Amino acid sequence: MHWNRALAVAGALMCIPLSSATSPETKLLLVHKTKYAMGTVYEIAAYDESPQRALKAIDQAFVEVVRLDEMLSNYKPESDLSRLNRNGHYHAEKVPPDLYRVIEESLTYSKLSGGKFDITVAPLVDMWKAALRGDRVPTAEEQQKLRACVGYEKIELIPPDMVEFHSPCMRIDVGSIGKGYAVDRAVDILRANRIKNALVDAGQSSIYGMGAPPGRSAWEVHLRDPSNRVDPTVMLSENSVSTSEQTPPSLLGNETAGHIIDPDNGKPLETKYALSIVVKTGTASDALSTTLLLVGPEKGKSIVRELADAAAIWISADGETETVTTGPQIRLLGKPEAKAGMERGLLGSPREK
Amino acid sequence: MRTWRGIGLLLLVVTVFSPRVLGKVYVRWTQSSVPAEKILGINDLVIPWSDAAKELAESAKKQGYHVYLEATLEQSASAAAVSASLGAAGIVLKGSARDESKLEEAAKSLRTQYLKLRILVVSPQGKQPEMRGWLVFNKNGILQVSSPTSQPWLDQNLAMVRYERAFQSQQAPLYGFSWDETDPLVKENGPSPADYSLAIAEAGALHSDLILEVHDRQQKGLLSGEKQTLSDWGQVKRTIAFYERPNKQEKEAAAVAVLTDDYDTTYEEINLMARHNIPFRVLNSADVKAQDLMGFEVVIAFATLGKDLTEGIRAFADRGGVAILVNLPGAYPWDSSAEGKKGGSSVTYSVGKGRVIEVGEPVSDPETFAQDVRRLMDKQRIPVSLWNSLTTLVVEYLGQKPGEATVELVNYDEESTQVQVQVKGYFNSVRFESPEQGCCETLKPEHVDGFTDFVVPNLVSGGRVHLE
Repeated sequence: MHWNRALAVAGALMCIPLSSATSPETKLLLVHKTKYAMGTVYEIAAYDESPQRALKAIDQAFVEVVRLDEMLSNYKPESDLSRLNRNGHYHAEKVPPDLYRVIEESLTYSKLSGGKFDITVAPLVDMWKAALRGDRVPTAEEQQKLRACVGYEKIELIPPDMVEFHSPCMRIDVGSIGKGYAVDRAVDILRANRIKNALVDAGQSSIYGMGAPPGRSAWEVHLRDPSNRVDPTVMLSENSVSTSEQTPPSLLGNETAGHIIDPDNGKPLETKYALSIVVKTGTASDALSTTLLLVGPEKGKSIVRELADAAAIWISADGETETVTTGPQIRLLGKPEAKAGMERGLLGSPREK
Repeated sequence: MRTWRGIGLLLLVVTVFSPRVLGKVYVRWTQSSVPAEKILGINDLVIPWSDAAKELAESAKKQGYHVYLEATLEQSASAAAVSASLGAAGIVLKGSARDESKLEEAAKSLRTQYLKLRILVVSPQGKQPEMRGWLVFNKNGILQVSSPTSQPWLDQNLAMVRYERAFQSQQAPLYGFSWDETDPLVKENGPSPADYSLAIAEAGALHSDLILEVHDRQQKGLLSGEKQTLSDWGQVKRTIAFYERPNKQEKEAAAVAVLTDDYDTTYEEINLMARHNIPFRVLNSADVKAQDLMGFEVVIAFATLGKDLTEGIRAFADRGGVAILVNLPGAYPWDSSAEGKKGGSSVTYSVGKGRVIEVGEPVSDPETFAQDVRRLMDKQRIPVSLWNSLTTLVVEYLGQKPGEATVELVNYDEESTQVQVQVKGYFNSVRFESPEQGCCETLKPEHVDGFTDFVVPNLVSGGRVHLE
């Protein structure tokens, strides 16, 4: 069996043909490229009459992603973000417009989630990442010390382009929103190059669908399913989906850390769910995926109900699902080996809890 | 200077099968004539068996090529007879994974029958090396499956090569693959020089031989002397020349042993371990003896253990090693000696200075399993590690003389990358060479806590670091 591919093939068998959104006379060719940036693989697949034009547009989009990587990276010492993390303590630091915008958007989601989404958890994230790599699990005292550095309220934005940290040890990490932001900028570049049908994927952090593939009304995307039997599927067209999931537990009984930190207690989030959210932009879906995983289904549903054209699904390893929508449909196709009684359905149908 | 005895490093020294040349590239040729040898830059040609194969083979041989006829199991007898009559170099047997044992049998028989012919068996498991995304295409559009990891996925042949090395004793690992032509531009124009170079660099770095398919359009371009094709192929030739070199009997460093008897059932686990740059060696469980476990830090058993090997595992753990038994139910000596600590589907038993972990079911998530194995390794004893280099694989070979080592690096990204490397031991001389810049750039070593750290500033497809 080939890991991951096997799941994909299973998905292929359930592919449902939809009505055509493209003139059958128009011969559209697929151009697909990958690019390593922001610690992951960006992929763009575009259908266009001219592969050369699509290729050029994709290359330009990747240039934009790399530019943002240089700016938003928290491990490249020369990045604008690193500079801000070094110099922004009790000092208003000028930052590029994109970084300002990312921080501004982040604060929106921090407020929306009551602080569960917080880009200032960088010191805690670093500490727990080290534990994931095999370092010892930090002591309560070490955790407490670093928690004092955390708190989005201590970030001050001074329009149009200045940022100040009101903490001596604050550091920010935009890893939970930056890839989605880069997806949106890549989409802008593709549109400016007259590309109408494309899929932009930031290492599965966020996926944006523009238009549709030939003969289809939208891009069909199978979402993360830790139970491997629900097979949630969404049709993307001019919107984005993101998935968040905590690092899986050790198979060998190792003490497991996690890469998603709960700002409330400074520890890796404990959750049984994987969460996927569909909204209009990559920035929003990226930020909201972390947010909704952190707050859980109950509060998460109330957040989603306040958003236009959004849908979310929480799935546990045993196939338990929680869903909510204000527009987009997430189909629950179910795998052939699904448990008896597992119904096929649509998110937003009476199956919604 | 690396002080082996002083640091007491428990590295397993693996004797790599020793052909005269490492990283040999065979070009698979399908046109009706061949260009001059100096244009192609190699002299080993593989010609698929067909009605016209004999004539082409004869012509190529006259031009100075070492010719190998490629044949299936059914064609092997005829191909061998023709090869012998032509005075060809040998034949290459190919088939599906299902035919592998039959191919081995046929090769064995032909080797005794045709003493002057080289009878090679090509692994059917080779794949195009590349950094992949996660989008999965079908003719109706695109399907995508999400995953908890955003780490780039590398299609690489390291796991297969290590497996072949354990199970195929008659030749160096040899594989080929067909190019992915999903992209219409690749289908029309063929792979780029960078694609070819990556394939050659990977095989060379793994000390394997490669049968390289060359796109029809590029074969025709080479035959007609088309300027752009010749220029592109020049880059490929440079990479071939860099990686084909005399075998210095270098030995691969490994800290993890994988005991297995079946490729298919353990491939995903060893593939993910390779992807995570875990220095492991595959051992054929049918042949392995207790003393073969000496020097490893972790032993992972996927195949049933006999009485002697069970005792070997106990002794290994007793000395401080960590043994992992995957889905091997049974009564073991450690079961009764200590209370096991349960965690998920595993039970951990303390045995002497070490431990034995019994996993009660097949590995459900190879990615998590590989990360678990990495965490079990003592950081102080990992032979070689990369930092912030998620698109790069590394293999360390120990020199014949103490205090010498070579590190091979392969970058699967299209863009060049900077690589931070950490090698166990202290080295004062660190020199980097690559197909692009030749030999050698001196790198600055830093000695930290028993390791030598250095940075390769610009790794394109592959490169080699000499440490002394």
